[in-house]
Amino acid sequence: MEHGVAPRGLAERLADALGTDAVKTSPEDLAVYAFDAYSELGPPAAAVLPKDARDVSAAVRIAKDCGEPIVPRGAGTGLCGGAVPARGGVVISFARMNRVLELDLANRRARVQPGLINLDLSRATQPHGFFYAPDPSSQKISTIGGNVGTNAGGPHCLSYGTTTNHILGLELVDSDGEVVRTSLDDTGYDLTGTLVGSEGTLGIVTEIEVRLMRLPAAVRVCVAAFGDVEAASAAVSAIIAAGIVPTALEIMDALIVTAVEAHYHAGFPTDAGAVLLIEIAGAAEDMAASEAALVGIAREHGALSWRAARDPAEREVLWASRKGAAGALGRLAPNYYIQDACVPRSKLPQALHRVEEIVRDHRLRVGNVFHAGDGNLHPLLLFDRRVPSEVEAVVSAGTEILATCIELGGTISGEHGIGYEKRETLPLVFSPDDLATMGRVRDVFDPARRFNPDKIFPSGAACGEVRAQRAGAPLGGRAWL
Amino acid sequence: MRDATAYALGERAPSRVAEPADDAELAATLRECDERGDAVVLFGGGTLQRAAAPPRRFDVAIDLRSLRGIVAYEPSDLTISVRAGTSLDELSKTLLAHRQFLPIDAPSPRRGTVGGALAAGWGGPRRATYGLPRDLVIGSTIALSDGTLAKAGGMVVKNVSGYDMSKLYAGSLGTLGALTILNFKTLPAPQVQRAAVAALPEGTHERAVAHVREIAIEPAMALEIGGFSEIDGRDGIDGRLVLLFEGSAAVVERATRDLRSGLGSAGVPATTIIDRGAADVLQRAIDACVAPLDGGSITYRLRGSAGDTYVRARLAAALAATHELRCESIGDLRSGDVTLRVSPSGDRTFEQAAIPFDDDLHEAFSRATLLHAPDSLWGKLDAWGKPPEGIETMRSIKARFDPRGTLAPGRFVGGI
Repeated sequence: MEHGVAPRGLAERLADALGTDAVKTSPEDLAVYAFDAYSELGPPAAAVLPKDARDVSAAVRIAKDCGEPIVPRGAGTGLCGGAVPARGGVVISFARMNRVLELDLANRRARVQPGLINLDLSRATQPHGFFYAPDPSSQKISTIGGNVGTNAGGPHCLSYGTTTNHILGLELVDSDGEVVRTSLDDTGYDLTGTLVGSEGTLGIVTEIEVRLMRLPAAVRVCVAAFGDVEAASAAVSAIIAAGIVPTALEIMDALIVTAVEAHYHAGFPTDAGAVLLIEIAGAAEDMAASEAALVGIAREHGALSWRAARDPAEREVLWASRKGAAGALGRLAPNYYIQDACVPRSKLPQALHRVEEIVRDHRLRVGNVFHAGDGNLHPLLLFDRRVPSEVEAVVSAGTEILATCIELGGTISGEHGIGYEKRETLPLVFSPDDLATMGRVRDVFDPARRFNPDKIFPSGAACGEVRAQRAGAPLGGRAWL
Repeated sequence: MRDATAYALGERAPSRVAEPADDAELAATLRECDERGDAVVLFGGGTLQRAAAPPRRFDVAIDLRSLRGIVAYEPSDLTISVRAGTSLDELSKTLLAHRQFLPIDAPSPRRGTVGGALAAGWGGPRRATYGLPRDLVIGSTIALSDGTLAKAGGMVVKNVSGYDMSKLYAGSLGTLGALTILNFKTLPAPQVQRAAVAALPEGTHERAVAHVREIAIEPAMALEIGGFSEIDGRDGIDGRLVLLFEGSAAVVERATRDLRSGLGSAGVPATTIIDRGAADVLQRAIDACVAPLDGGSITYRLRGSAGDTYVRARLAAALAATHELRCESIGDLRSGDVTLRVSPSGDRTFEQAAIPFDDDLHEAFSRATLLHAPDSLWGKLDAWGKPPEGIETMRSIKARFDPRGTLAPGRFVGGI
């Protein structure tokens, strides 16, 4: 800052540093940054669209000088308010930092910018025989940077792991505006692994090095129909217990299947209580034997039918409809509320049974579409936000579902994150000491709590109060899971 | 009370050994040491203690092996929770009874503990296939130097509930706290394990390695070895390939056929197949990374890209030769790690040769770290090389977790 010159306004300083074209301050332009796929909080004071780490660094320094918080944003597809400002400040959007910087196929690595769309990376690498494994259902629109923030999952975590298992290094802008690189190849503490899943509270990631995997030689996608979700999930537990690890095990209940069929016509059986989508991948030699074993287990658990996709096109349709399942629900109710919780896999049938009871008690309807192989539940509670009693019922049911999953040995988020939505629920999982220990990491990276404040960590306010605020938020917009 | 000299590290032995029986006693011991200003080094089986610098101060050894046993294991969940002092061997046996395994490739599994392997962040020859221990851990409990007991993660395989603290603890070498419980995701054990060993005649190296890299069914382990005769009984410094395939019988069979024909056309005359004993080949390849030679030796690891494994191994060998040191190497063709063992071969004493070599090695390779050194030399070698870019952040983390520097002072990167 120049001596003798009073600090000018935030917007002017940002525009000086990044160019007027990269800074948004009008209410119309800022309105969009008040939302993610689920939540509405407040708009920021300004939004910036940096083109490189230097711009990000400048924005962070200026925000710091002006005492404004900083919230990083990918595509805004998050479901817990992680990318939405809770206290105004500056949103850093990565919409213009969306390129693949380097493909190092010999070493199976790629360097990308955080705003790169997840699917675009696999599209860029597939012609060479490689892919980027983490594939959240939002992958057509969500960004790698956002995926790093929430340690995003997706249907293929079962055998490939989550985002954190595929991130080799990061470049980030720290709370002083310095650009720092971390790498799994470095000696010392695993800063990379500590940063993944920290939901933008520790630093602003400006570049990501990812691991690429070889495309499997053979892939088979099959659909089994069951009488109900409990039978389907019992089959999933039996598959895992038998020592078979398919690349995906996904369940959709009748309500979801009906909505999906009306939309995609993928050929899922609509007369069944639940369908199980199974993908196996690997060496061609293993496909027939693996499918035979899976058919056997499915039959033992009451499978009503079994079908294998005949060609890649049919596989594509099955996957597209699975990943678009939540979107298809628009046909059934004005709004829906997605819960994300995880239980030990063998507890799935119990968890689903309890979800059913909770929903019935609250006179709600529920659709279940979830990553069964990981024990990752996604009940979608249908409601109409114009009816206050329904909103109230959805919020209470959501909380009860989380409490149930914790009782069963699970946790309150498998892949969507804590964000704003679940921060007051986190103390149900972790003790004050556990949370304070995580807080020590925050103290190091962001002592002033300028990065994405009011996320992950509980406020200490009474839970009921915050819950009541939340009740107005569900939008029932687009969502992926 | 155990004999404190058994816990000596380099030229320092502790004045006291504590063996806490449970988490609460461990936390109390840590807090007491912290308040008194005693420097603590945590011990599991002691198998990887030398893959770090010797401590700057050392008053109390805390042996964590009484904190052992399985906390929870539901095989159909493919997860297990174990106390950190449990031996790797006990863990393997528990899992194997249910045809599962945890691919942590650490040396001497009967002595080595689960917590020790995780704290050392040890990456073995199957790391490119199954990941590092940090990729397998899903939850942890740690005792901090002020006596705080803190959990992170849980018993589910997908979890974004708070920071992934277990990643921070993995590889932190006991400088942030004492791990007491670790939760892991497990894997179904491979149906078949098969090792393949092939000596590479002169001139065949390049094509043989290229073939191994491109082979359709990837080996779980692919090493190119010079020396290290304890692994497969072969001697000589000339290169040989030692591979391990894991999977179904049909897949392993196909991989063997592909390997034989590929190596054959690369000019490699014979490939030996080892079925019974394949697991032993793997274990010996791991053990070799920290095993000293009788006449004295130092072992290093050079990190780098898989693509230039061979180049680094050759460069390092040439460097060793200029210092009159004998050099053996294990190049991991999948992860890029090169393990280097140097031993005396000329007229100079080992110390006269080794210390300048250590300087030159770190000069030539920015990511060279120490795996094993004899007592007499240990404190004179640079265990970590040049600190990484994030070193100041790391120092701050250390200061926030262990403000008095009670835990393993001086053992980690940059003197942490």
